[in-house]
Amino acid sequence: MKKNVSLMMAFLLFAFLSWSQTKMITGSVTDDKANPIPNASIIAKGTKVGTTSGVDGSFKLSVPNNAVFLTISSLNYVSQDIRIPSGNFVNASLITKADNLQDVVVVGYSTVNRSSLSGSVAKISGNEIINRPVLSIDQALTGKAAGVQINTSSGLIGDNVTIRVRGSASISSGGQPLIVMDGVPLIQGNQGQLYNPANALADINPNDIESVEVLKDAAAASIYGSRASGGVILITTKKGKSGEAKVNYDAYIGMNQPGKQLIVLDADQFVSVINKMRSNAGLGNAVALGDFNGDGATDKTNWQDVVYRNGMTQNHQISISGGAGRTTYYSSASYNDFQNYIIVNRQKRITLRLNLTNKINNWLETGFKTQYSRTTSYGLGSGTGGALSGVPFGPLTAYPNVPIYSADGTYYTGAGGNTVSQNTPNPVAVQNLNYDTRDTKRFIASTYAEATLIKGLKFKSQYNVDVQTAYTDQYWDGSVGDGQGLAGVGQTVSSEVRVWSWFNTLNFNKKIGDHDLGVLAGAEYTRSYSSSNYAYGLNLFDPLFRLIGSSNYATIGAQNAVGGPNSGLASYFGGLNYGYKGKYLLSANIRTDAYSGFGRDNRWGNFPSTSVGWKISEEKFWKSKLVNDLKLRASYGVTGNSNIGDYPGLAAYSPTQYADIPSLNISTPGNSALRWEQTSQMDIGLDATIGKGISLVFDYYNKKTKDLILNNPILASIGFPGNTITQNIGSLETKGVELTIGLPIIEKRDFKWNINLNGAWNINKVISTNATGGDITGGQSIARPGYNMSVYYLIRWAGVNPANGFPMFLDVNGVAKQYDHSAPTANRWTKVSDGSVTTAITSADRVVDNSKTPIPKIFGGFSQSLIFKQFDLSFDLQYALGFYVYNSTRATLLSYTTTRNKSEEILNAWTKSSDVTNVPKLYWGENQSTQASTRFLEKGDFLRMRNIQIGYNLPKILLDKANLSRLRVYAQIQNAFTLTGYSGMDPESNANGNVNIGLGIDNFRPYLPRTFTIGFNIGL
Amino acid sequence: MKKFINNILLSFTILIMSCQKEVTEITPVGVLSSDLAFSTAQKIETTTLGVYNDMQNANFLSGRALIYVDLMGEDVFDKGNFFGTLPIFNQLSNNGIPANLWTAGYTTIADANRSMAGIAANASKLTANKAKELTAECLFARAISNFYLINFFAQPYVSSADGSHTGIPLVTIPFFSNDPTANQPRATVAAVYTAIIADLTQAIGDLPANYPTLYSTKTRATKAAASALLARVYLYKGDYANAKAESQKIISGTYGNFALQPKPNGAFGPGNYQTSETIWSIPNNVNDNPNTNNALPQHYFPNGGRGDIAVSSSFRNATTNPYFAPDDLRRTTMLINGIAPNTAYFYTNKYPDVATRSDWAPLFRYAEVLLTYAEATARTSTIVDPDAVVKLNLVRDRARVSASQYTILSFASKDALVAAILGERRIELAFEGHRFWDLMRTKSNVTNKVDSDGITLVPLQNFGAQKSIFPIPQLEVDKSAGILLQNAGY
Repeated sequence: MKKNVSLMMAFLLFAFLSWSQTKMITGSVTDDKANPIPNASIIAKGTKVGTTSGVDGSFKLSVPNNAVFLTISSLNYVSQDIRIPSGNFVNASLITKADNLQDVVVVGYSTVNRSSLSGSVAKISGNEIINRPVLSIDQALTGKAAGVQINTSSGLIGDNVTIRVRGSASISSGGQPLIVMDGVPLIQGNQGQLYNPANALADINPNDIESVEVLKDAAAASIYGSRASGGVILITTKKGKSGEAKVNYDAYIGMNQPGKQLIVLDADQFVSVINKMRSNAGLGNAVALGDFNGDGATDKTNWQDVVYRNGMTQNHQISISGGAGRTTYYSSASYNDFQNYIIVNRQKRITLRLNLTNKINNWLETGFKTQYSRTTSYGLGSGTGGALSGVPFGPLTAYPNVPIYSADGTYYTGAGGNTVSQNTPNPVAVQNLNYDTRDTKRFIASTYAEATLIKGLKFKSQYNVDVQTAYTDQYWDGSVGDGQGLAGVGQTVSSEVRVWSWFNTLNFNKKIGDHDLGVLAGAEYTRSYSSSNYAYGLNLFDPLFRLIGSSNYATIGAQNAVGGPNSGLASYFGGLNYGYKGKYLLSANIRTDAYSGFGRDNRWGNFPSTSVGWKISEEKFWKSKLVNDLKLRASYGVTGNSNIGDYPGLAAYSPTQYADIPSLNISTPGNSALRWEQTSQMDIGLDATIGKGISLVFDYYNKKTKDLILNNPILASIGFPGNTITQNIGSLETKGVELTIGLPIIEKRDFKWNINLNGAWNINKVISTNATGGDITGGQSIARPGYNMSVYYLIRWAGVNPANGFPMFLDVNGVAKQYDHSAPTANRWTKVSDGSVTTAITSADRVVDNSKTPIPKIFGGFSQSLIFKQFDLSFDLQYALGFYVYNSTRATLLSYTTTRNKSEEILNAWTKSSDVTNVPKLYWGENQSTQASTRFLEKGDFLRMRNIQIGYNLPKILLDKANLSRLRVYAQIQNAFTLTGYSGMDPESNANGNVNIGLGIDNFRPYLPRTFTIGFNIGL
Repeated sequence: MKKFINNILLSFTILIMSCQKEVTEITPVGVLSSDLAFSTAQKIETTTLGVYNDMQNANFLSGRALIYVDLMGEDVFDKGNFFGTLPIFNQLSNNGIPANLWTAGYTTIADANRSMAGIAANASKLTANKAKELTAECLFARAISNFYLINFFAQPYVSSADGSHTGIPLVTIPFFSNDPTANQPRATVAAVYTAIIADLTQAIGDLPANYPTLYSTKTRATKAAASALLARVYLYKGDYANAKAESQKIISGTYGNFALQPKPNGAFGPGNYQTSETIWSIPNNVNDNPNTNNALPQHYFPNGGRGDIAVSSSFRNATTNPYFAPDDLRRTTMLINGIAPNTAYFYTNKYPDVATRSDWAPLFRYAEVLLTYAEATARTSTIVDPDAVVKLNLVRDRARVSASQYTILSFASKDALVAAILGERRIELAFEGHRFWDLMRTKSNVTNKVDSDGITLVPLQNFGAQKSIFPIPQLEVDKSAGILLQNAGY
């Protein structure tokens, strides 16, 4: 009734005003891209006269004659005061709000307005990742959100991308966040079967993505309970909007090249260095120049030149979206082809998507989102990275003094004039003759029905499925490399990973006076399956026929395996959101999860969280003109980690053999008391808008993980495998701060300049490991109680003694010792101080340096976009500081025990007394200077220009003539340059994949490609 | 309408709840839940056979345990510098070799204890006889593991008058969790020997003489295998009367018929593993063997294998190995020259199957039983015992076809006979994991032992030296929190 009275009053007032002198204003409201904005509010400033714009953005308003300004506003846009021009025609172009505080944010099973969010959630718009020539969607997110560290292991197709949200929350279990796309828990991680990695996220078309949300704190993530300790990434794909169909065609084409090449010795340098190494040791020459293909010229080959190429990349996408009546749709088809700079390495992907929603009546809505994709990756047939036939191991270490081809045109496989042979197989031959091809089909779908039971109460049931099947076909030619000893090898793997989940939720939202209430209750069941069939054939009769069968191969075999997850999760969850006057916010969530892999008694775990928010700027006492929006947030909650293997607690026996007699032995001792790892996280944050749209988000967090699932050493007399039992022991702590700033520096109609930057500082510390406080080792790093996570554990290099050219190390007590390989075995190690014979430097002399870990202390991104009339220019920077990389590649390329090619650094070797250098005297067989030591530990700090893009939008006049709504042409460089002091391939190199201990090992990972593309977007 | 919706909601709820079981109760694929390991007669037997798989461990009886005994003796040298400081008696307490050996031995014992408990708890699923047989197989496994462990990690029985010196933890109860009762101090050597003898005595009573297949008879525990081990145990204990009595039983055919092959190498190499000379071996095949790093042929065989271990000049030279006559057939059947670049070295030919690494590890051969009988008889006799000479001749004659047989007149005294038997034992059982312990049990020093260059002499290792035995793995000492004490000198 009260409402009706005020309406009537307004009507009366309006009627009264309309009697006075008025003028009629007409106009239209559009966004900065000239799209109409319906429902925008137009009010004559200083009066209560107003109207809203129509579907086409147009409006008509009669205002008092004395009105000077119109205030035009709309949700998500910066409101504008426009002086009423003499012609009484107003064309308002509203700018999208630079701060995104008004956004709707997806938080699991419901959405909230960002303004009433009290958890920590970062949102990345689809526009920020569209049309980037990346191999998988995760790569495109690099540097986009504070506290989200995304590390691409290498430039190899399919290589691991490690994502850590606020550092590692585990030691031995998975650290990767849960990724959910449109409600579907996605299969992620490396799915590679034979010699090449295959990133499961490469199947997804990045251009279909509307937005990506990262749930960082416990309040936001705990609705995902036991899967959330590594954070949660929510991907929402595009949907259609009611109105005319929009057709977009996006295309780009370009080429890529290695971003960097290490320099190795040329043929002449090689021969002189190796032979010098030999002569210094009193040995005869081991290598020699010569003409081995009979072309009359001395053979000299730069293998990197022939193994690398300018790879072509292209992408085409057509999308059609729109809506009519009660139905909206978004559909797309795309083709992406990325030929890497490494010959034969290539990824092709087609995707098809259809997203559909259908309002059946006023209480029932249904819909689905589906994507089918086929990804074909052409890997390196003989393995990657540091494998003998891998790239870049092959091109970096192959003899530079032999030819590529023999006189008869076949690949040259000999050792040339090199008599001490440690040959690397002909790098071109192994790439061209061998292959490892993976053909992946992926279907991701979710379908739902949502019923409004009573006003404000909605019931939703959604079924999700993600199926990835792959066929890996691999071949080693019998003439070269790995296939040589086996006379030709064929291997195939058919594999499947399948996940379904089904959730049902009740959502209740009601506003009662000043009270906003939201209640959520739900249940979800998730089940993962996998299987693989492997077949191999050895000793190929005829290389023309490669199907594995006894008619083609002398030996064949096959094997079945689970090969992946076989687990299930039952979950019940509830949430409460409460707001008072939009000022005081409170939310609480709880999820309880049961995991199939735990014993029946400890299967269930509870993961509660709570958060509060206070919008101080809404208070009456808030007078600040400078800070016009300020919200304080605090949250605390508990999450878990389900990346713990299928049966971590199961006591089990596995089939074994006593030669011909089958037997059974304990494979896992089991632990029926095993339970979830628990991460409790406290977060304090603030969101502010300063002045004209400067936005600021700040968070401090402190995470503690306890009950880490680790292998606890037990007495050998108990007789369990590995003398360990899996127990909930160990704990670690992570704390840090995050800052995101949005700066709209210039906001003019024709000239806009925005800067966004984010940064995070993070410290990961191990509190305890196991009963004996033992180290957990990975790569060259360890987890040791009291030290930073993954701290390097290395022998200390003390340089080269200028007096004699011997390598020097410090023993555990700091005593400098030097090594002379020419001395008798017992006398090789001497003290630098007095030359007396001493004990050898061994692994017992390793020390930890708490300041040196592979995990950056500070990292983030910096992006800017500049729009000037029809032109736009943007770039994305990524940075990481305060971390170290172990350059294992360099160690191998400085070895004195092989005749493989060396890094050019070896030319700095000590030759005479008083030479100050870091490279010891060349001496054949000296194997101590390249042992794992701090000699190869380098600072990794870098600043990378990930993307520079320049574009031109055709003006509207021309577009209208061509009957187009949009045409943009652009050019971009992905991975343009990297500023770093690191001497190796790339400071992000990671040879160990997705681990928590042992990151930062650069062991022959191919450099990231630098990709140049030109492209256009056409909108009909 | 309302009722209709309610009904739909109700049936939905039921559907939802039924889902829970489907996602939480998942039967593992590829592994067997431990509560099923003793669920049927067939499973019980297969699980018990896992104890043999434990013994087949590369770090234990299928390779390394035998190799270490020879490496500490003077017959071979570590040409490949593969075994670190073990051959020069200077291991560190955190070295991998003792740790892996200790683990392999105690894993066998723990699995044997668990299997015996499982058999007892599920006896109703088995015939009484089968239950006894399977239990006896476990007892045999436990006994042989204790025997090897005590000789590696404790001073020989004979180093004290009654074996009262420190032995190893004696583990006889089954563990199913991180059970604190597993943390036991070291029992005396005598207590461990007593337990071994008790286990074997029971096993001999319950074990079958034969299994349905010859393969199983040669590779699973039999009465003869347990008896052969027991004879060796008595010999090491210095209990010659019992050593004689036990070996006599095998020679007299109580546990089956055994005989020497006509040629000295007749029980070695592919095709020769199941002869009547073999009493018990650990089998290997192409798919299941101690792999490229640990297999016997990989270490011992020069052509295709790594040939880490070469035969020493001390073994080949008649002055340092006085009973190894120039015309001994074993010089050619047992030894071969290395190939380039190792033509200067000699290797053993006992484990030639480098291609498939399938050589069986010879744990008990009839030749050993004959020599044990001969030695025990000679030692317990007051005169030069003619029966001992006969048994010694059985072994010696097939290698010395051109020489005349020994007679009692060949020996000036009983001691001379014992020396000849020990000399014969050194040659006949060479590279099969006997030599160093034969020196130890006879309180002998290790002399004429060469270093890894094959030339330099290693300092004489006295009987009773602290480092003649392995260190207790330091990690085990640490984990025991003061219960498990380290060997002196480490």
